[in-house]
Amino acid sequence: MKKIIKNLTMVSALALTLSACSSSDSSAKKEKLVISTWGFSEDFFREEVYKPFEKEHNVEIVLDSGNNADRLNKVRQGNSDVDVIYLSDYYAEQGIQDGLFEKIDHSVIPNVENIYEMAKAPLGKEYGPAYTIAQFGIAYNPDEVKKPITSWADLWNKDLGGVITIPGITSTTGPMFLDAASKVSGNTKFNEDAAFTKLKELMPNVLKEYGQTSEFVNMFAQGEIAAGPIMEMYFAQLQEAVPNAKFVSPKEGGYAVMNTVNIVKGSEQKELAEEFINYLLSKEVQEKSAKAKIDSPVNTKVQLTEEEAKGLTYGEDVINSLNILDMKFVNKNSKQWIDRWNKELAQ
Amino acid sequence: MRNRTIYLLLLPGALFLTIFMVIPILLTIGSTFFNEGSFSFEGYLHYFQDKYFIGILLTTLRVSLVTTFICILLGFPVAYYISKVGTRTKVLLLLLSIFPLLTSSVVRSFSWMIIIGKNGVLNKLLLSIGLIEEPLNILYTPTAIIIGLVHLFLPLIIITLIGVLENMDEDLLTAAESLGASRLGVFAKVVLPLSMPGLVIGSILVFVGSFTAYTTPALLGGKQRVISTFLYQNATTLNDWHTAAIVATIMIVITLLVTIIMNQIAYKINPKG
Repeated sequence: MKKIIKNLTMVSALALTLSACSSSDSSAKKEKLVISTWGFSEDFFREEVYKPFEKEHNVEIVLDSGNNADRLNKVRQGNSDVDVIYLSDYYAEQGIQDGLFEKIDHSVIPNVENIYEMAKAPLGKEYGPAYTIAQFGIAYNPDEVKKPITSWADLWNKDLGGVITIPGITSTTGPMFLDAASKVSGNTKFNEDAAFTKLKELMPNVLKEYGQTSEFVNMFAQGEIAAGPIMEMYFAQLQEAVPNAKFVSPKEGGYAVMNTVNIVKGSEQKELAEEFINYLLSKEVQEKSAKAKIDSPVNTKVQLTEEEAKGLTYGEDVINSLNILDMKFVNKNSKQWIDRWNKELAQ
Repeated sequence: MRNRTIYLLLLPGALFLTIFMVIPILLTIGSTFFNEGSFSFEGYLHYFQDKYFIGILLTTLRVSLVTTFICILLGFPVAYYISKVGTRTKVLLLLLSIFPLLTSSVVRSFSWMIIIGKNGVLNKLLLSIGLIEEPLNILYTPTAIIIGLVHLFLPLIIITLIGVLENMDEDLLTAAESLGASRLGVFAKVVLPLSMPGLVIGSILVFVGSFTAYTTPALLGGKQRVISTFLYQNATTLNDWHTAAIVATIMIVITLLVTIIMNQIAYKINPKG
């Protein structure tokens, strides 16, 4: 018995030593603006977006990164110091319903006038605009499928047994895929029962649901899957791993995923935060992120060549062709959908 | 007097655990019995009538029990061997066997993806030597979870077993053999009962660890959910803390039950252990 405890102590001591090797930052006296965001392409944003803003306003930008759900939850718990929060429209709507965000007067964000109509106030005039619109469509590996994929309905093809992935219902694009299933079932208006029946038929094709896009990219790169619905903004990563990969806007229409920025209630930097949102929508920043192929622009003044627009959701025609979900409707039904998804599609 | 004051040393630790563990756990458990302000068991009834939840629970139990069993099978011989070698080799082997504990479970899961994936090392090898014609589907199944968990928890059982095996008196084995016991008999009647304390502690650690593991099932598991990923979905994505608390309480109770059962079995085999 003694020996056991001795050995266990040794192991935990080792573990402790390892975990103690983290460092702590010393805080500066400067004003701080805390931004909660996903954390992808952090180097780019730090250099090209945050740094110029920090200089101009003599402020230090501090990042808090993580996925939508985790970050929204932190704000929900009420003890975070986040000022500006980036969220996909699905999660931002939840935040609005919970009263977590400050109301924003769009007149203090003049650049709103220069962005696509759809992006101006996706969740109501009192809340933050979308700074980018991503298309949710289908990516596939042409070497691994028998026929090219052109529509949502093609995912139901029997040839694709066990080689596709679909977004889980709790991810941002989950409800969109549910809507697509309803369309595939032949309904023009959303039909919940038909959508679930159709999804049940799809399950033999599904290897695994994905919760984060990185899982999709990983499975695609490893050859575990041959196709699946994904946001266009991640397509560049897929192509890096599989150069032949194709992205298609399905015949029934892709979906618009709008990433929004909001100001967290109780922020002491409201003015600065509004300034930041305005800056984020400016032609300068929008053009930079577009050219770096990170975020598709919503500012209509940004002009891109064909080469520059590759892999981005760009141009009035494309934007107008996208299906939009009513996030209020989604939010009201999501609990029930998640429940049905868990129960009816579980195997 | 001296003996009494020595208990004061327990105070800081006990206080810390009470404030940060005992009270939160009691609050969590307490909250599950209240539904909209009134006392009820409804939350629990709802879950135990729910086929989907029972399915998740059974998958999780099966995965954890199989993991524990495999860990015992693999861990026992290794521990026995390590306990018999010289001190210097022993330290080296001990270090090697706890090595998996020093890498993060995320990294470990990713390496398993590369090994057991459809185009992974294992499938390529088996295909090239002609043992199989179609790649095996291991990744994203409960088998993959079990493989990952065995890798994760094997060190725990090895360490706890070495402790008891080291203290076992060689003479007992010689005595048993000289009195006519077969090798198997010696193992069943002497070695196994004497190693029971280590085996029980090790098994409990492995079982509880597997039952509550989140990262490994989330990364290596497929469409089939386990209880901790279900809990996570309720707590963070659905923001439904009531359900999450109920699931957490069910997990605590099951862990306690299994611990008690394992102790009972151990007591049957070696009442003095």
